[in-house]
Amino acid sequence: MANLFPKWSNSVPLKVIIVICVLGVTGVAGVTYYFTPKYARVGYAPKQPVAYNHYLHVEQLGLDCRYCHSHVDESGHANVPDSATCMNCHSQVKKDSALLEPVRNSYNSGEPVEWVRIHKTPDYVYFNHSVHVNRGISCVECHGQINEMETVYHAEPLTMAFCLDCHRNPENFIRPLDEVYNLNWTPENPAAQAEWARETVIEANINPPQSCSGCHR
Amino acid sequence: MNRDSNHKETHGEMTTGPKYWRSLDELADKPAFKEWLHREFPQGASEVDGVNRRHFLKIMAASFGAAGLGLAGCRRPEQNILPYSQQPESSIPGIPVYYTTSMPDARDNLPLVVETHQHRPTHVEGNRDFLPYGGAVHRFAPASVLNLYDPDRMTSSYEGNRRVTGERIKDVLAGLASKFGPTSGQGMAILAEPSTSPTRLRIKKALLKKYPRLLWAEYSPTVGSNPERAAARLFGRPSRPLYQLDKAGRILSVDADFLNGEAGNVGLARAYGKGRKVRNQDEAGNMSRLYAVESSFSVTGGMADHRLRLSTGNMTAFLALLTAELLELDNGDPHMADFLRERASGLSVDPAWVKECARDLLDNREHSVIVPGSHLSVEAQQLAIYANQLVGGLDHTVVYAELPEDESSSIRELAAAIGDKAIESLLILGGNPVYNAPADLDWISLQKSVPEVIRHGYYYDETSLEAGLSIAATHYLESWGDGRTLDGTYVPVQPMIMPLFEAFQEEEILARLAGMSLADPYGLVLDTFTESYASSKGAAEKDFQRFLSNGFLPESGYRLLKAASLNVSGVRENLSPAVLAPRATGPENLEVRLMASNSSGDGFYNNNGWLQECPDPITKLTWDNAILISPALAKHLGFDTKAGDFLIGGVSKKNANFKRGREESRIAELTCNGVTVRGPVHIQPGLDDWTVILPLGYGRSQVGRVGTGTGFNAYPLSHSAEGLLRSGGKLVITGEGYRLANTQEHWSMEGRAIVREGNVGTYEENANFVAETGMESHSPPVYGHDKGMDLSGKSLQTPRGGSSYETPDFGDPPPNVNVWQDPEAREKFIPEQQWGMSIDLNSCTGCNACIISCQSENNIPIVGKDQIMRGREMHWIRLDRYYSSGDLEENRNELPADPQSSIMPVGCQHCEMAPCEQVCPVNATVHDRQGLNVMAYNRCVGTRYCANNCPYKVRRFNFFDYNKRATDEFYAGPLGTNQYKIEGAALKAMQKNPDVTVRMRGVMEKCTYCVQRIEQAKIAQRVIARDSNNIKVADGVIRTACQSACPTEAIVFGDISDESTAVYQSKMNDRDYALLGYLNTRPRTTYLARLRNPNPKMPDYAEALSRTEYKSTQKSSGHGEAQGGSHGAEPAAHGEEHATETHTEEGHGGH
Repeated sequence: MANLFPKWSNSVPLKVIIVICVLGVTGVAGVTYYFTPKYARVGYAPKQPVAYNHYLHVEQLGLDCRYCHSHVDESGHANVPDSATCMNCHSQVKKDSALLEPVRNSYNSGEPVEWVRIHKTPDYVYFNHSVHVNRGISCVECHGQINEMETVYHAEPLTMAFCLDCHRNPENFIRPLDEVYNLNWTPENPAAQAEWARETVIEANINPPQSCSGCHR
Repeated sequence: MNRDSNHKETHGEMTTGPKYWRSLDELADKPAFKEWLHREFPQGASEVDGVNRRHFLKIMAASFGAAGLGLAGCRRPEQNILPYSQQPESSIPGIPVYYTTSMPDARDNLPLVVETHQHRPTHVEGNRDFLPYGGAVHRFAPASVLNLYDPDRMTSSYEGNRRVTGERIKDVLAGLASKFGPTSGQGMAILAEPSTSPTRLRIKKALLKKYPRLLWAEYSPTVGSNPERAAARLFGRPSRPLYQLDKAGRILSVDADFLNGEAGNVGLARAYGKGRKVRNQDEAGNMSRLYAVESSFSVTGGMADHRLRLSTGNMTAFLALLTAELLELDNGDPHMADFLRERASGLSVDPAWVKECARDLLDNREHSVIVPGSHLSVEAQQLAIYANQLVGGLDHTVVYAELPEDESSSIRELAAAIGDKAIESLLILGGNPVYNAPADLDWISLQKSVPEVIRHGYYYDETSLEAGLSIAATHYLESWGDGRTLDGTYVPVQPMIMPLFEAFQEEEILARLAGMSLADPYGLVLDTFTESYASSKGAAEKDFQRFLSNGFLPESGYRLLKAASLNVSGVRENLSPAVLAPRATGPENLEVRLMASNSSGDGFYNNNGWLQECPDPITKLTWDNAILISPALAKHLGFDTKAGDFLIGGVSKKNANFKRGREESRIAELTCNGVTVRGPVHIQPGLDDWTVILPLGYGRSQVGRVGTGTGFNAYPLSHSAEGLLRSGGKLVITGEGYRLANTQEHWSMEGRAIVREGNVGTYEENANFVAETGMESHSPPVYGHDKGMDLSGKSLQTPRGGSSYETPDFGDPPPNVNVWQDPEAREKFIPEQQWGMSIDLNSCTGCNACIISCQSENNIPIVGKDQIMRGREMHWIRLDRYYSSGDLEENRNELPADPQSSIMPVGCQHCEMAPCEQVCPVNATVHDRQGLNVMAYNRCVGTRYCANNCPYKVRRFNFFDYNKRATDEFYAGPLGTNQYKIEGAALKAMQKNPDVTVRMRGVMEKCTYCVQRIEQAKIAQRVIARDSNNIKVADGVIRTACQSACPTEAIVFGDISDESTAVYQSKMNDRDYALLGYLNTRPRTTYLARLRNPNPKMPDYAEALSRTEYKSTQKSSGHGEAQGGSHGAEPAAHGEEHATETHTEEGHGGH
């Protein structure tokens, strides 16, 4: 009987395995790159119309978050400041800087500065800043060390799992209310902080929602 | 269907609940209806036209392949954040700002508070500080916000076909002023709509001073001034009756739909609702009693304890008889009594009805009131005033308010002047006379004969088409103005937003004509305020700010007249014998009554999709009007109950009158004095036998995209002398068919003990009669051993009852949080508040305000007539209207002429043991720890299992992208126009509530208890609490959209785990029951049974008819408990029956 398979067929299994591996790796890599927020978002640092430097303003000049994001403790939105807020200082400081041209234009014309959005929850998520900062969650938990960023980038994945980590165990994340806007804060005594946090969660009944209705409406 | 768990109780004698029939076909046991009952969704609702499943899969496979090529599309698009350049004070992004205003109306400006998001109004609610209305609204108020963003509104002024600027308009007005200045206004006429605005009145007076010969006419087709005219005759000065229904224990409505149609209905309904609140058995006897005499079947008639059908033309005679009866019973003027009785003799009403009604009114002297409809003749109004005096109502249950002097000509006088060629320039402010002026005036030719016609209007409508210059008007939410409520309280009209388009207010136009130095509306209003309402000139600005902040000026109502100054002796002189004489009507001599429609009013709201799609309170028709005829007339015209059709030449042309949401109707021709109107017929039980009702406001020829092609125009039957009531009508059924979209049969509950009701007497005898009605009284107890647990415990612990499954325990901390594992910590745990709702069926009138308010708050789309006919309406709350006649046997063969109606609002019941949650394959609908049945849109994959399993049929599925596609392009899919990208899309998007997701195709949705409001209130409370545990939201802070709209406070919402809340108290009422409670769904929404309060002495006294029906089923099946046992046998027979019927129907289809 003649050979049923020609000689070249000896290498077919290997080729098939290689092709499957390549496809598999490509597929996994593609999904990982394109579909998981950790890759899709973290590190996202678009170019802004004005190269605002948080490090300079917060660390060197000592501005509080709420000087610009003035309604973060009252509203669901942490507002991006209006041009008039910038001009409070920049009508005197660096008032002719070319970098500030868009702000001056906006202030004079009434047209907004077109900041590029970095942090965004999906449309069906209703995140509320005020309840977080008033119940002991610092900006740093979601936004990272913004105070040290010269260019703002997306520091955390902000996935639902990320949210739930904290909603399930708030005692690991809350801090005294007067340290919420101090992004460099670290507890002097981690054990004492853990005990304080546990007490506070119990006394203040900090029970972040784990049900859908907490965020999805 | 699992037959063991088949709880169907409909058929024949086996029925356990009160038998309600809702449509004539159910009554007739039509095969189509039976089939309908057996499908979880109406048939067409779950089928895609023209595409079968295999074809669909093919397309889907192809599109997945295509999607793979464009993975880069998964990266999110770059978005911008656009902060203010200079942020306005008091504007915080993300926090809505509320402003007071009022909705202008001819008689009664409705005080409002408007929610604005970044200065765009999104939702309208009532002003709760204005106590007589208590923050309630009628359905037109929340719907009006949609008119503001209507892409079909006038976006610019036009001269012929040419757009013109505001400057040109100002020039034209200046030209008019200089032209007519020298002639003192000779040759100029203004036709305006009636208004309550003191500013307009002030400018009008200035205008008439400058042009003494100017002809100023006012017209609105549906606003009558007869009550004012009658009062003016008797008081000698202009005045208006104000009914104090909260003080009235006995109310007789004479053709007055004061809960729905009459001016001031929000306040009247509120006051009426107070009289119907019964907290316990002892209070039942104090409940008010409502007698209604009417020709139509109105919302008020539906609430009545005694209802008498009588043609509108005979109302004057009825009032005469009643007055005569009152005089005789009270030993009053015998001459007057004889005179009235003689004149009105021959009126065919039961004398005992009138006598006992009169006696009851007299027995409650000073607590009785007679309310005549405002469309009734001046003589009828006078008789009503006289009768009110006889029952001691004057100064008690009805007071008279003195109106400011305001003389206007009528449209007839204006028409005569135009006919005499005396008018050179006609300025039409608002209204739409070409469409709705009395037909005999032939207004369109008159308007064409005037050399210069200037029209100021919100829409480019029939009248604009015949005007040389059309000036765009602003919406009231963009205007400065003022007005007065029915009782004269001064209220502001405040803009929420700058005019979206270049438009004018009528105040400005008039001020320019009058040559006033100041034409800015804000300045004009401020001037009026300073002149007439400020405490002092210096404080005017400050007072005005306070006035705007309050939304009304306290104590600014009209001066009340003392009834002592009433000249009742004048009544007799004013009565001409002719008006008192009874009018004969018959099948060949029909009374034709034109009425403002419940959806589009006089036609102005015709282009409002929310109102178009809102089912009429009684007929449940959407998107159309119809000629409403009584069952008696239908029978006379050859309607055959069995065939469900009019037999033409003895033959019916179709199988079923109803199929899904589609009502196959016949076109009829109604001829009256030589004028014929064509329209579809709808048989409406409860009408006077020989009166036909024609709702107005449809059949517009020049209207926007929404209103085009809806209904027929009934205005051709209107008449300048006879008004909207004609006689001598003749109706002929044609062979032509017409499809009406009727939601009446949708979401059927199959005639179980659904709406429970009883007489006051029943309740007084047995406080537990509600709990003893229906299946719960004999089904296994829902809560098992825990039956005795209080409501708070039940809500927090969800006792297991007879269930074999563990149930969640909301009183305990979440099990996956480490901190709460410690038992000491547990003691300090504060459970989530448990939300629940109580709906009082005793005060729900079925006015529909809740539906529209919900639609506005929750971004609910409209779906169009075609989709309604497939049973796909999206309203989260619906009002089921049931009829009962008291005789089940008769119900099967006859259309009851005079049924009782019962209304029940049904939204998601938020069951603690929700059937929907158990079947969702992806956990998109689950329970949260506050007891809400939540719907996570982003998880939903659209299997619709939940809707199948919902016994209440309250889940709504987005079969199409109702927001993204136009109503006529749903089936085009992606080939259709993307409505987000067309011109005007931005305008529509501005209405959307940013706190609620706009749902897309393929997801389920339903009532959420306004979860966005709950969460916002909880967040606000936690922001206040900071690091304390003060996290409980106080009772009354969270109000659902339906609750705040409700005029009668029928809906109460709150925390049912807290005994001090209003909702807890309401649920403790004996009359509290759960809809389909025996299913062990444990709904969080429960109902308070309705009480009827008939007078035992009346000839038509009877037990509540639905209860009679319920009891008759109890007797015929031997014993109530036997029901459970008989179940096994019944469904089999039922199934067989069903199969044969389906077969028959197919047979027919084959012909």
